[in-house]
Amino acid sequence: MLKHAATRLLQLMLMLVVLSMITFILMKLAPGDPVRTILKADEGAVTEEDQREVREKLGLDMPLYQQYGVWLAGVAQLDLGKSYTTNRDVWHLLIERLPATVRLMAGSVLALIIIALPLGMLAAKFQNRLPDHISRMFALLGSSMPSFWLGLLLIYLFSYKLNWLPMMGGGTIAHLILPSITLGFVMAPEYIRLLRAGLLDTLSQEYIRAARARGIAEWRILFRHALQAALLPVVSIMGMSMGALMAGSVVTESLFGWPGLGSMAMEAITQRNYPVIQGYILLTGLFIGLANWMSDIGLGLLDPRIRHGKGQGL
Amino acid sequence: MNSQPQIQGRNSLSLMLICLIMLMAGCSTDKDASAGQDGSKKATIIHSLPNETMDPHNEWIALRAGVTETLVRLNERMEVAPWLASSWEAKDELTWSFTLREGITFHDGTKLDAAAAKASFERGIADSGALAAGLRLASIEASGQELIFKTKEPHPAFPTELVHPTASIISVTAEKEAGKEAFNKAPVGTGPFKVVQFIPGQEISLERYEGYWDGIAKLNTVKFQFNADANVRTLAFQSKQADIVYHLAPEALAAIEADPQLAVQSVTSLRTHYFTYNPKSSNVADVKVRKAIDMLIDRDTIVQNIMLGHALPANGPFNPNLPFGNQGEYQKLNQSEALRLLESAGYKPNADGKLTKNGQPLVLKLVAFSGINPELPLIPLIVQSEAAKAGIAIEIVSAEFPDVYILDHSDWDLSTSSYLTSPRGDGGSFLNAAYLPGGSSNAANVQVNGLEPVLKELNATGEVEKRNQLTREAVRIINEAKVHSFIINPNILVGVNSRITDWSPGAEEFYIVTNQLDVK
Repeated sequence: MLKHAATRLLQLMLMLVVLSMITFILMKLAPGDPVRTILKADEGAVTEEDQREVREKLGLDMPLYQQYGVWLAGVAQLDLGKSYTTNRDVWHLLIERLPATVRLMAGSVLALIIIALPLGMLAAKFQNRLPDHISRMFALLGSSMPSFWLGLLLIYLFSYKLNWLPMMGGGTIAHLILPSITLGFVMAPEYIRLLRAGLLDTLSQEYIRAARARGIAEWRILFRHALQAALLPVVSIMGMSMGALMAGSVVTESLFGWPGLGSMAMEAITQRNYPVIQGYILLTGLFIGLANWMSDIGLGLLDPRIRHGKGQGL
Repeated sequence: MNSQPQIQGRNSLSLMLICLIMLMAGCSTDKDASAGQDGSKKATIIHSLPNETMDPHNEWIALRAGVTETLVRLNERMEVAPWLASSWEAKDELTWSFTLREGITFHDGTKLDAAAAKASFERGIADSGALAAGLRLASIEASGQELIFKTKEPHPAFPTELVHPTASIISVTAEKEAGKEAFNKAPVGTGPFKVVQFIPGQEISLERYEGYWDGIAKLNTVKFQFNADANVRTLAFQSKQADIVYHLAPEALAAIEADPQLAVQSVTSLRTHYFTYNPKSSNVADVKVRKAIDMLIDRDTIVQNIMLGHALPANGPFNPNLPFGNQGEYQKLNQSEALRLLESAGYKPNADGKLTKNGQPLVLKLVAFSGINPELPLIPLIVQSEAAKAGIAIEIVSAEFPDVYILDHSDWDLSTSSYLTSPRGDGGSFLNAAYLPGGSSNAANVQVNGLEPVLKELNATGEVEKRNQLTREAVRIINEAKVHSFIINPNILVGVNSRITDWSPGAEEFYIVTNQLDVK
């Protein structure tokens, strides 16, 4: 078990190095010049000499491999560099923004569960009947609607028309509701369908038939026996969905003025703020890697076969 | 059946849900719910640019939020006027003397004198490359209320550089006490409001400073929020969750104007959208061709159909409301005159109606700017349509950073550009940046015959009226050479609730939270 954990950790570190290397190269290949942003060239006369000085100071005149080496050496000492635009430690920026993003992700997962669990169960319980059709329609809507569009619709309805919820900002649970629903709704379809398929499969198992033969109520069978088994693939997918959740948070955070990592990354990309982009990628890579690891643990908790090392489970 | 694993499984699921809820709730704070209920006056403002820091020397937000002030400011006529400094003069071509007002204190109660201002500038120059590049200072001396700047080279437009928000005066003593990180979240300046709380990327809570030197602010508190999405900002304004909202979505204006409680103020900005002609392109080497293309730009349609009336057609680089701004008539769409010019340049229509010269059709490549303002990618489409009617084919390529595209490619004929041409009430810096070789806004390396002596004289002239006259002369020469086709000055659309009084937006977007800002 310990050896397995160490191997996974090593894999994660290797993945982070490769990820940072690819991002670094892609970032440098993309058009744009951070020096113009730093010197605010759009607002006044800046000479070539000024630009050269800044380029030299930041090491942007060095060959690419050298720039990456300097950055990596900094990372090894937990120094992610400074933001080009604000001069602040990237590490501080990330730590400052992380709680808001984690809160949003937690809210989104909760919204996802609230949406997907009943719809998936109803669809399985009433296969090919009205609840199943409604669930299918819902899944179709969710998967075909871009998150920014859904977010705007929710703002229009709940903030503008009904004035029930704040449309932007953070600080209270009320601020979290609309962005969480936006992210959760867009991610729900695959979970609804997965849960439905899992439940249908489980409900056709022999032990379920045996339970029915013993006269156990249908809802009791669904909740106590079938759901637990059907949740295994859902939890497994959940770990892998963290990447999509992070990516979705970029748009959602910008829309709702939510002060998380996503909106910060969006701004950093526009400004070609390389240290912040690199820091963001590293942190999200680490986060997604850890989420996958936690999903493995979660599977162990849900499936005694995995927990007790008996059989493969899923 | 062994039920223990099932119970554990269910418990695990419940545990996960509880953790999620705790995570969401754990960091939440229910603040600001009762603000204003005690009869105090408050207002909410939303701006489009989120800020990571309130560092006054690297961002505009501290000045915009009324926390810091500069030695001099722009007045309603966009002229440099006294602010923290009551007067100033050039002692010689390298030396500027500023006299600071008496009786001004920072939010921490310390007095503003020349030594405090000197420390502030030293901190700014060390922390901000842009400020250092703009001021070009050799030394600063402080004596009582007199601050003496020595520049590295003659800098007649020096006072205009001090208008910039990054030249804000801060209390370095307060920074030393609080530490840089904390200070940049709550900078201590001399403005009418002080920072209560700053949440990066989200909002600033402001409270008035009781010791403000120019009359205590009329509002008790201000909430200054950020949101990058124009639709959300507009809905926030329509739902009256915000009193002042910057950069509204133009398509929502009709709905806003239907509400008697809401108004939109449309202010011509200091930004200019224009085309740059490639000096290396043989297609546009002839000035007659460039003038013809200029005549094929339907500025009226761009203003009416793309900008919905919220822009001014441009005939030069500067906002016409400025003392040195664009004057005279702008070029209207003129197909027949454009065709006459093109014919005199040697182009003849072929059987298909395409203009050709020596058997070669006139095909132009236009680099369209895809960033910043939504109208920028649309303008080339209008020009493409009018050019097609004249027999000119225009191929549009989209670029996020046209300046970078220009540096890397030579196979283009014209490119969209968009710059703040006079952010500090002076045109000198733009003219130098856009028309001199190596200028930061001159990626195409445009050169204009006869312009350099005028710019040289401008760069050596301190007297404002003379500078304005030289700027106008420079624009005349630039327009004659037609190296650029100026298209429009877009407006800033600001939503103002009728409960707001004694406030109007400025073209410079510097002075947003003021001591005069009030609510009914």
